[in-house]
Amino acid sequence: MTRYAMVVDLDRCQGCRACMEACKIENNTTESMFWMYVFRFEEGSFPDTKMSFLPRPCQHCHNAPCVKVCPTGSRFKREDGIVLTDSDRCIGCRYCELACPYGVNYFNWQKPEKAYYSGEGGIDWADPDLEGVTGGAVPAYKNPELDKLWGTEKRRTAGGGHAKGVMEKCTFCVQRVEQSLLPACVDTCPVTALRFGDVDDAETPISRFIREKDPWHLLEEAGTEPNVFYVGGKPPSHAYKEVERPKARAAT
Amino acid sequence: MTTEVDHPSARSDRLPQGVGDLTTPWKAFVLGALVVLGFGVFAYIWELSQGMVVTGMRNVGSMGGASWGLYITMVVYFIGVSFAGMTVAALIRLFNLNDLKPIARFAEVLTVVALLLGALAIIVDLGQPLRGIINLFRYARPQSPFFGTFSLVIAGYLFASLVFLYLSGRRDAAVMARYPSRLQWFHRLWAAGYSHTPEEQARHRRTTFWLALAIIPLLIIAHSTLGFVFGLQVGRPGWYGTLQAPAFVVLAGVSGLGNIIVLAAIVRWAVGAGDRIEMKVFSWLGRFLMILLFVYLYFMTVELLTLLYATPEVEKQLSDALLGGRYAWLYWGSVALLVISAVLLVWQVLQGRWRMSWLVAIGIAVNLAAIGKRYLIVVPSQTHGTLLPYETGSYSPSWVEYSVVLGLFALGALLVGLFFKAFPALPLSEEEVMSDV
Repeated sequence: MTRYAMVVDLDRCQGCRACMEACKIENNTTESMFWMYVFRFEEGSFPDTKMSFLPRPCQHCHNAPCVKVCPTGSRFKREDGIVLTDSDRCIGCRYCELACPYGVNYFNWQKPEKAYYSGEGGIDWADPDLEGVTGGAVPAYKNPELDKLWGTEKRRTAGGGHAKGVMEKCTFCVQRVEQSLLPACVDTCPVTALRFGDVDDAETPISRFIREKDPWHLLEEAGTEPNVFYVGGKPPSHAYKEVERPKARAAT
Repeated sequence: MTTEVDHPSARSDRLPQGVGDLTTPWKAFVLGALVVLGFGVFAYIWELSQGMVVTGMRNVGSMGGASWGLYITMVVYFIGVSFAGMTVAALIRLFNLNDLKPIARFAEVLTVVALLLGALAIIVDLGQPLRGIINLFRYARPQSPFFGTFSLVIAGYLFASLVFLYLSGRRDAAVMARYPSRLQWFHRLWAAGYSHTPEEQARHRRTTFWLALAIIPLLIIAHSTLGFVFGLQVGRPGWYGTLQAPAFVVLAGVSGLGNIIVLAAIVRWAVGAGDRIEMKVFSWLGRFLMILLFVYLYFMTVELLTLLYATPEVEKQLSDALLGGRYAWLYWGSVALLVISAVLLVWQVLQGRWRMSWLVAIGIAVNLAAIGKRYLIVVPSQTHGTLLPYETGSYSPSWVEYSVVLGLFALGALLVGLFFKAFPALPLSEEEVMSDV
């Protein structure tokens, strides 16, 4: 049985946020929605400061609190460990978001077409010059793989911006994994800080990598048993101060 | 059936307790409620068309908001209010508290109306409301604490309450149906052939007894599951705890009793039934409220001490925000209202004298405090003390949320007002039953 997992190597991560960008392009996520989020932390006070980085995808927990609380079974865990949202079934109660200790869920507060960076100082999609290129499509390019039905369950689980009033989160790029590709963030990372693979098979590179290192999980104490492993660095503490936050409060 | 022939001059204004008598103040009240309700509906349509971006809610974590806000606060509050109505009605039936019988009817009505409002408050909070109504039943998952809140509370408990209200009102419906009026069809429909024979009476007494006996555990379970919605979650600071469920039940009782007291005072005034709802009814309600208030204050103190004594970092951020930070005014304001209410109740018990004005003020005060406490359970745990070191968030309700919530209150007032123009607010007295028949 396959069990997909991701390893984040904090000794390698340089906080460039290319993974966040790759995720946005692959999954067409709307403004302020970061399925992959990279914290930039500052520790200590000047001049004794230290910077560190922490990529935070969905942890695809084995004991996922979001799956437990979903009242309709829209949030579910596949046999291979990927936790997904059926955007056709979600009723938008946002309970999963509050059950999750990691803050990885993002709700579509408005029609996705209205939320593609068109707010104040953003893109004017109706601009004639721009429309000549996009043909009026918002966003200009929408990944056609996202609307397909994936996996044995054949539900609409991939990709962002499906509908107003439903929940979304990182899917481990299920549309790519199903085609034996790596998730977009892993594929993009310029320093191989992110690794992805099957940890059920002891001979895969990722399994061997985990065996060599001493991996830890985010918020181990929450008992969620994540399928995202961290190596190197140390767990974030509340002595850390987050700096250089991306603009994240969605347009009103 | 022959009454119409016997009393050809009988007019609708002769119905007891002002039923069917559309007075000017009543019309003004209905008009006012309709205006507020209309604005609430407008605000909700705006929310439906624009998406929930028009509310003050945003994602927790990187977006720095709160994903549950005023709506969920009101869900918890409304369902809480419903608790006391049915509990009081069931206790009256189970222990034959004859002195309290006059308040049983509107206690039941309060439960039904509050539950409807709670259900509507859930619907307005959903991103996909139509899908919600279908999927919550079609794909219901009893493992989710939300199942208890929606499917169990709304379907089971609302239905049981409606049946109880229906059965306990049949005698009066049968009496009312003898009067010719525009509402006669309604009373006939309700009576459904009931004619108050000894066998029917005995059967009704038996049925309502067992129903009352079954409803009380159902109520406790339903309100506990509402506490479980929060109490089972480790993902947010301040939620996880064994005290959540019992504290929910007790605070539900406090707010509901406060509502019954206020409603009893209004009915007493509107129907002119000063002699029917005696002061000893208020004394009983006041004592019951006092006991529940003390239990709640005890729970609150225990919770506070636990929070302060052994505090992990995230819980400390939360308690700082509650006790001395952004939410301190609301926290201490709510606590003050509860403590002052408790003190005033004790004072009246010691004096052995109950003042109507004090009781109404206490009823309103404990409800404001209950809304405040519900808000403090729902919101601060999202904006403060996130488990990963996100920046502190913020949430304040938008005009849409305020309008929708006010609209819900107006709808509740309207339903109660309409019901008591169609049906007597107090169970008919023996004189009312005998006269005109």
